[in-house]
Amino acid sequence: MQFYGFLLTAVLAAVLSSVSLALFSPFVTLRRISYLGEALSHIAFAGIAFALLLGWNLHWTTLVFVVLVSLAISWLAKRHKLAEANAITIFLSVSMALGIVLISLRNGYNFDLASYLFGNVLLVSQAELWQLGGLVTLNLAFIAGLYKELFYLSYNAEMAQFYRLPANLVNRLFMILLAANIVINLRAAGIILVSAQLILPASTAFNLVRRLDHAVLCSALLAIFAAVAGFALSWWLDLPTGASIVLLEFVLYLASLSWRGLAPK
Amino acid sequence: MIRIRGLSFSIDGLTILEDIDLEIAEGEFVAIIGPNGAGKSTLLKLVLGFLPLPSGSIEIDGVPHLDWLKQHPVGYLPQREEFDRRFPASALDLVLMGLAGDLPLGARFGERHRQRALQALRTTRTEALAKKPIGSLSGGELQRVFLARALVSDSKYLILDEPEASLDMPGTQSFFALLRELNQAGKTVITVSHDLQTLSEYCSFLVCLNRRLHCHTQTDLVNSEIMHKTFGEAVRIIEKDY
Repeated sequence: MQFYGFLLTAVLAAVLSSVSLALFSPFVTLRRISYLGEALSHIAFAGIAFALLLGWNLHWTTLVFVVLVSLAISWLAKRHKLAEANAITIFLSVSMALGIVLISLRNGYNFDLASYLFGNVLLVSQAELWQLGGLVTLNLAFIAGLYKELFYLSYNAEMAQFYRLPANLVNRLFMILLAANIVINLRAAGIILVSAQLILPASTAFNLVRRLDHAVLCSALLAIFAAVAGFALSWWLDLPTGASIVLLEFVLYLASLSWRGLAPK
Repeated sequence: MIRIRGLSFSIDGLTILEDIDLEIAEGEFVAIIGPNGAGKSTLLKLVLGFLPLPSGSIEIDGVPHLDWLKQHPVGYLPQREEFDRRFPASALDLVLMGLAGDLPLGARFGERHRQRALQALRTTRTEALAKKPIGSLSGGELQRVFLARALVSDSKYLILDEPEASLDMPGTQSFFALLRELNQAGKTVITVSHDLQTLSEYCSFLVCLNRRLHCHTQTDLVNSEIMHKTFGEAVRIIEKDY
């Protein structure tokens, strides 16, 4: 019985993790900021190292660290007219270096780096499962509540601001929630693989549907399918779960390319 | 009325605009002309609040322009709007953008908004394109849909930055004819343009700009001396006498 409870927790973790990232996926893809998702997940590594070194709460420390760094990137890019992509690359590399140094300072500490790099749904606790559930609810509320604003922000942020939409406010909320999604998903999805789950569902969805609201729904459904099927495959074939889910999402993406090729123009 | 006083603007020490004083009365069809790099688009962007105003003042209807812009929509057609051609928006979605600022945060568009957007598309003769994805529209169709977005809020000011850029000659003529109709219906139209021949036919007021203001007067009062000052000696003036 306990075994089935453990299995159910793991499956639910895989589904909630994939769905939370998939809900954000269409906006990340349309705004072409998937590189930011990649960077924030790596920057989170330094946040994790800080939390471990100081003995602070891992999630909150990492979340605050990632949000502060993402704001610093925007500030540096604006203040010093540095291309944002360059600023992100600098922070990504420096954060990884900082994380490695900080972890090395904790001599003798047994840190399971691999589980954070690649994710492991089997290690997700009940408390973390509730966090993932809360995150999915928050994402749904955010997207449903500010759909119009997110739609035009994704179209063109400058013109959205011109047409008196609070583009800066919505963008800041978006960035904070994106950071929260990445940090809370690190345990389940992993630093390396989290960004794949931010890009693939929407890339597939946009090959199948033509409206943004349909793409959000389609991304979520694809993510549920990939999470359940990927988990089952990994269980039966004894493969890493996160990697199996990502590979399955990629197969779905390839299939959607063929569908787009066949679909009427 | 738009009133600009003592406006100067520079980027990295390079002067783009210098000591501009300009008044644009309501109901005019204004053309801002000048060579490339004269500061025409910069002037529009300053008026529209896209760029911060380092010196001088801009007032719209007697109110500082940023305060006015917070309270009022203004119709604007940019020279080039950055967007992904595959973005999943229809022409109607694009026009509704012009009304988005009228709604509270989070509120959805209603039937009333959709009818207004369709009316704007009707005005620019693009109603049939309402449901088409924006990526499937031609340059001319897209320009008219952008114009519908500029019109939907019913602002009395319509500001356009080189609207003929993506249009062929017949397209430019019919576009400016439409602008004239809108001007005659009461809109103040301000357009940056390079097409002097079309402008002389449609515009009532000319602003000659080349870093400094060389003229701001009725179109028929502009002479070859002013044009030489604006464009330099390289320009060849062909005067027409109808």
